[in-house]
Amino acid sequence: MDYLFAVLLSSLSSASILLIATIGLAVVFGLMGVINLAHGEFIMFGAYAALTATQQGVPFILSIPIAVLLTMIFGALVEILIIRRLYGRMFDTMLATWGLSLALYQCAVIIFGTVSPGIGMPQMSIAIGEYSLAVYPLLMIVVAASMLIGVYYLLTKSVYGMKARAAIQVPHMARAIGINSSNTNTLTFAIGCGLAGFAGAVLLPIVPATPSMGFAFVIKSFLIVVVAGPVTLAGSALSAIGMGGGASVISSFMTSVAGDIFFFALTLLLLRFYPLGISSRWRFKL
Amino acid sequence: MIKSSIKRVSVAALLTALASGTAFADAKIGAIFDLTGGLNIYGIQQNNALQLAVEEINAKGGVLGKPVEVVTYDAQSELSKYTQYTNTAILRDKIDVLFAGLTSSSREAIRPIVRKAKVPYFYSSLYEGGACDKQTFVTGSSASQQMSKLITWGLKKYGPKIYIMAPDYNFGTISAHWIHEFAKANGGEVVGEDFLALTVTDYAPILQKIQAAKPDFVVALPVGANQTGFLEQFAAAGLKDSIGIVSTNYGSGNQQVVVSPEAGKGIIANQGYFMQVENPENEEFVQKWHAKFGSEVPIVSGAVDVWNAVHLWAIAANKVGSVDNDKVIEGLEKGISFDAPNGKVSIDPKSHHLNQNIYIAEGNTSHGFNIIETYKSVPAVFENETCDLVANPGQAGHYVPGQ
Repeated sequence: MDYLFAVLLSSLSSASILLIATIGLAVVFGLMGVINLAHGEFIMFGAYAALTATQQGVPFILSIPIAVLLTMIFGALVEILIIRRLYGRMFDTMLATWGLSLALYQCAVIIFGTVSPGIGMPQMSIAIGEYSLAVYPLLMIVVAASMLIGVYYLLTKSVYGMKARAAIQVPHMARAIGINSSNTNTLTFAIGCGLAGFAGAVLLPIVPATPSMGFAFVIKSFLIVVVAGPVTLAGSALSAIGMGGGASVISSFMTSVAGDIFFFALTLLLLRFYPLGISSRWRFKL
Repeated sequence: MIKSSIKRVSVAALLTALASGTAFADAKIGAIFDLTGGLNIYGIQQNNALQLAVEEINAKGGVLGKPVEVVTYDAQSELSKYTQYTNTAILRDKIDVLFAGLTSSSREAIRPIVRKAKVPYFYSSLYEGGACDKQTFVTGSSASQQMSKLITWGLKKYGPKIYIMAPDYNFGTISAHWIHEFAKANGGEVVGEDFLALTVTDYAPILQKIQAAKPDFVVALPVGANQTGFLEQFAAAGLKDSIGIVSTNYGSGNQQVVVSPEAGKGIIANQGYFMQVENPENEEFVQKWHAKFGSEVPIVSGAVDVWNAVHLWAIAANKVGSVDNDKVIEGLEKGISFDAPNGKVSIDPKSHHLNQNIYIAEGNTSHGFNIIETYKSVPAVFENETCDLVANPGQAGHYVPGQ
């Protein structure tokens, strides 16, 4: 019984970690239709930004906003220099962002080398019966939930959010009513990147900063967004909990390989029955 | 004018060469390592060690009285590049000896090519063991070589129950085989095992399983940056106080630098080399390394494995007075030894593996190790049993235990 409860709790935290890494990609893909294959490298960017900040003596908690800001600025630059020239050309964007990911990876190797000291996880654990769980990964459940709520309010309730959705859905009409759609798009992409930077920074104690860390996230994040479909936020949350959490439960009772098989088999199955994503027939929009 | 002076110089060179009666060309060695890409955490140091070794050999008069020339290739952490550059090195650059590879798959890609071309080849990395080929020499330690000491040590220190955490490919599965073997032979018991993909970043499920299985110690073989996170999460869950953690490859990629001091303290590592080994050769080696490459990144065992390989080859070539394939191999098979930074190493003529020291070290709080046990001149157990290249020069394969 204790085991079951410990497994459920830790699986929920696994799903949350996956969701944190995915939200940035979901925003950029869902709102802009841009498949950002460099998403993993933006996570890495955030991780190194936070790591460098802590090495300069900034407390970890303050290094997170610094990382978000830097990743947003970098994301805005990327949008202006590369992405905006390729709107509507999905495959060209994929190719360009994939190239960007290779370049960023190698830059990280050159700047930071292949090993950097980690910052370590707070050595706190809670006991459930005779099982003990680290506190920090459990905290990620709260972080993921607040991230979802925050992004939801930003995109639905704020003026920016309405402009952003208008600029993408009907760009010429948005321009006609005076929305500077290209600036709005830059901001949207920057926010997506900022969320990736946030993920890299907040997950730093769990996943150490390395040049190749992006690879670990990008495949599963990408599949979650694809399975989620048009209702990006709620869809991603549901598929992260179902697929990521489910895989984690399977791993706990069987093996990690079985967990992975479950994840990919479920992806195949869902896409077979919902080719446009599980949220293709949902009523609400985010 | 320029042309004629070049001609004159080359004629002069030709005459000296003829007069001294040695080979025309200097010995040429090929080096293929992963200088970029995911594996360069090892490849850069392997390549650095090769440069350093060649520098020292050349300063001491070179091979056959001439400086050694190096041709370097970057395999970019891609398997296909190993095949491509091995062919380039042999066919275009006409190398006399090859030093290359980190992963077992890279070695297996290279092995048939050098075998056919008859070029001596040195593979320098700790690995799962079992490679056997006339052309191939292994200077890293094998899984059976390390596990034979680590498991008996762990059983004595912590108790009989073992949990295995290993990467899901042949290094992990073969290492796990040896854990089972040595556990059984010494009264231990494997109470659980989990093989993990290299992309796993979240270890909550396996931590729950470990707690359910209640082992006395965990044999963890994390490969790559993601799996280093396992050690961090293991410590954060508070398991380190009650469960020991030992590894044959922790530290081989400087994981102790990535792991926080709290998580790294007390992790038991077991390898053929640690930077903290105390002997005059290592002191000199570390000093030279720091002077040339800086002291920020600790030196890994793979670097010393390459250093030893280059020196062993040079000793053999100088001994037989030739860099010719058959003669060099004959020289190497005379069981030559070398005072290496990791203590004295000697080649086993039959298996082409090294008898070398195996160290057990404990992680400390300053991203380093304290050596707590030294086993002198440990043989490569499994390789010496399965491989006899003196009796059967035609033997070639990658042997897997239990088959």
